[in-house]
Amino acid sequence: MSAVRAPADGDAVLGMRPRVAVEPGSLDEAAEAMRALARDGASIVFVGGGTDLELGAPPRRLDAVLHTRRLDRIREHAPSDQIVAVEAGMTIAALQRHLAPHGQRLALDPPHPERATVGGVLAANAFGPRRTRHGAVRDLVIGITLVRADGVVARGGGKVVKNVAGFDLPRLLCGSLGSLGLVAEVVFRLHPLPEACATVAFGGLSPAEVRALTRATLDARLEPAAVAALQEGDGRFRLAMRFEGFAPGVREQTDRLLALDARGERLAGADEAAPWARHDALRAAGDVRAKAAFRPAALEEAVRAVEAVTATLGAGALVLYPTLGIAFAGGRLVRADATGSAIAAARATLRPGNGSLVLAAAPAALRDLVDPWGDPPPALEVMRRLKRELDPDGRLAPGRVVGGI
Amino acid sequence: MTGPGAEGEGGVRRDGRASQGVARRLAEIVGPRNVISDPAELLVYEGDGLQHGRVRPELVVLPGSTEEVAAVVRVAREANVPLVPRGSGTGLSGGARPVPGCAVLSLSRMRRILELDPENGWARVEPGVINLDVSRAVATAGFYYAPDPSSQSVCSIGGNVAENSGGAHCLKYGFTTNHVLAARVVLSDGSVVDLGGPAADAPGYDLLAALVGSEGMLGVVTEVTVRLLRKPETTRTFFATFPSTDEAGAAVSGIIAAGILPAAIEMMDRLAIVAAKAATGLDWPDVGAALLMDADGPHAEVEHVSARAIEIARAAGALEVRVPRDEAERQLMWKGRKSAFAAVGRISPSYLVEDGVIPRSEIARVLRDIGRLAEEAGLRVANVFHAGDGNLHPLVLYDARVPGEEERAARLGGEILRLCIKYGGSITGEHGVGAEKAAYMAEQFGPDDLDTMQRVRCAFDGAALMNPGKVFPTPRLCGERPGPYRPHPAEVAGLAERW
Repeated sequence: MSAVRAPADGDAVLGMRPRVAVEPGSLDEAAEAMRALARDGASIVFVGGGTDLELGAPPRRLDAVLHTRRLDRIREHAPSDQIVAVEAGMTIAALQRHLAPHGQRLALDPPHPERATVGGVLAANAFGPRRTRHGAVRDLVIGITLVRADGVVARGGGKVVKNVAGFDLPRLLCGSLGSLGLVAEVVFRLHPLPEACATVAFGGLSPAEVRALTRATLDARLEPAAVAALQEGDGRFRLAMRFEGFAPGVREQTDRLLALDARGERLAGADEAAPWARHDALRAAGDVRAKAAFRPAALEEAVRAVEAVTATLGAGALVLYPTLGIAFAGGRLVRADATGSAIAAARATLRPGNGSLVLAAAPAALRDLVDPWGDPPPALEVMRRLKRELDPDGRLAPGRVVGGI
Repeated sequence: MTGPGAEGEGGVRRDGRASQGVARRLAEIVGPRNVISDPAELLVYEGDGLQHGRVRPELVVLPGSTEEVAAVVRVAREANVPLVPRGSGTGLSGGARPVPGCAVLSLSRMRRILELDPENGWARVEPGVINLDVSRAVATAGFYYAPDPSSQSVCSIGGNVAENSGGAHCLKYGFTTNHVLAARVVLSDGSVVDLGGPAADAPGYDLLAALVGSEGMLGVVTEVTVRLLRKPETTRTFFATFPSTDEAGAAVSGIIAAGILPAAIEMMDRLAIVAAKAATGLDWPDVGAALLMDADGPHAEVEHVSARAIEIARAAGALEVRVPRDEAERQLMWKGRKSAFAAVGRISPSYLVEDGVIPRSEIARVLRDIGRLAEEAGLRVANVFHAGDGNLHPLVLYDARVPGEEERAARLGGEILRLCIKYGGSITGEHGVGAEKAAYMAEQFGPDDLDTMQRVRCAFDGAALMNPGKVFPTPRLCGERPGPYRPHPAEVAGLAERW
């Protein structure tokens, strides 16, 4: 039986407090709870580690919060097949701790791994700098168990990496923010833990230099596992590239990168982790956080647009993933109108390149002025129909997704 | 399946075939030369790469633009004529098999490369563009398009999107779904929508994820933006022979366990080797099994990985390891592998290509089980497959002239698929479900799983106009709602009371 309790302060979602909190301890309990909530006509938000709860709009209604924290077990780990099936509430860090002794990992490094859960990361499409090499959650998920709004349990994908049987529910659920169903279990493909790892860092770069050096690195056929540029206090960027693999390969790649640009510094041992720890801190900074997407070749223009946003914030922070065309901006809200205008201007700049700027966190004062998602996507009507098919009464995370879905 | 005038798919009444009137209206849209209704010319459209189960369409329409596709779809919608989209027709699951009365919508005239942007890592192409032509177009810039189905010199990008096509190098690089950034789609109501985009993480649901691999059931793709990758700096290949598939399977497991991610690792059994030799004249020895492995990436990494993999193969019992002297010899080795399907024609008058997936660690056991099933059926099975991801391609050899043999071959193929399901795998790794395997979907998935997938179809195509009869064993009526949920008494007494 699910633990059902009166809500506490920690159960609020973007300022909305539910009437009840439920914590199922198994798939069966989750399905049972969902059926009961369906019968009640209750609107529900699913909560994992709560690290991305501020992404998207506040729910229009909130009767119940369903926590996945008791769904925290490994269902199956087949090391020789490099797959793991895990319940949605297990944290990324706990999963990695289980996998490491087998020389394996989930090649995904979202922020706050000690709190972020498997299901939450999938639902929010959370990722870190390793996306450079290994892709995002949609590139690593191979199977999913879903509890629908009506309490029906459905599976998609499977336990083998290569599988085209049926429609791709696992990938469809990525980034759906709990609005299409409860992600109860996830199957991932795994990667080997690298034997060696080294980072090369370049300080004092302009955005144009970040782009040029990144491009030169890729043109030289080097294959960094992670690339991030962190804005320093003087407005210049510190570009960090991490190489992973076998020792001779990592050595050769870092040597060649340093030969390409002598300004670089090879970081090893304890120093190696320093830029990445700084990266984590910058990405977590502030009560306003935004993600901008742009074409990699238009990096300078995108940086100017996003800098105009961070300039309105207190202690503004900016992180770039130059190979992916992604920027993370953060800081403390000072004047909502100024930040709101800068966001609108940045969106206008990014729009022609099919880019976007999405708010991952924002105080209510800013939310009152700007839509967290920006322009509605061209396929909004199909998205609405999909929502109606899977959640006809609009009870799952109502209003959280783009276009008020 | 929908017949003329019958109560059709999704309860939609099909008024009949794509009649003369429909043909006339379509000709006004695409021009009379681009509507085919001559029975002799329709022959080629009766099926795809599968030789059996052919159905003659009423007509074939070949639009030349997104606007024409949209207009064709609107006409078909008004007349309730089902549409069967078709690329190059190389599919191996009957995904482009017509249904009676339908119009086949061929995208083969839409074969322009619209835009190349290697610096941003993408190319925008029409769906009829041939897979390999994308790579050719960007080769001099040092780029390529990664998914490499064996048919890549003839199959189309649109078909690849429909089937989520794979290929030998998907082990490292992923499938079509990992390489499609955006698509323009004509929906069954004639509307045109853009999904995804060349910039990352377009806000909203990842409808592109649902589209890729939906086997033409969600809409007609009229433009595709694909990811371009830089060609790896170095590729190292080796070919190793083994006494049997047991040792070869152990070598694969050892290589993976050593933390190596090969670009591709392919296995052939004795019969497949014999066939490849007969077709290509390669001087491969007469052995129980062979592996062909590619490692690619930066130079030192690849040299290290390749040497280590060869050590592991030897330790696992390799009889011989051959390293190609040059690119020409490497290409020849791969030609041997890639021609293996067709090569089987040299040793058998007819054969059936299966496509199933098993957990990689079960390869040796499953191959023994397949051998036993083949023996019981009195048929031979050649195995050539993507060993790294457990994607089997058993080739069931038979003689269609011998009464009953074709049926026995089909039965054996089905038993092999059931074996894949039993071992926790899948009935298809890259060929798709199509018309051919729809019945097996109910064995791999439960009714609730299939119902959920069909709701996705309903969101895109509530009229069930697009490629009906594929993937799902039983069509679902869109808009159908199950009766009110009746709670279990325990819930009423327990959980439900609490709020």
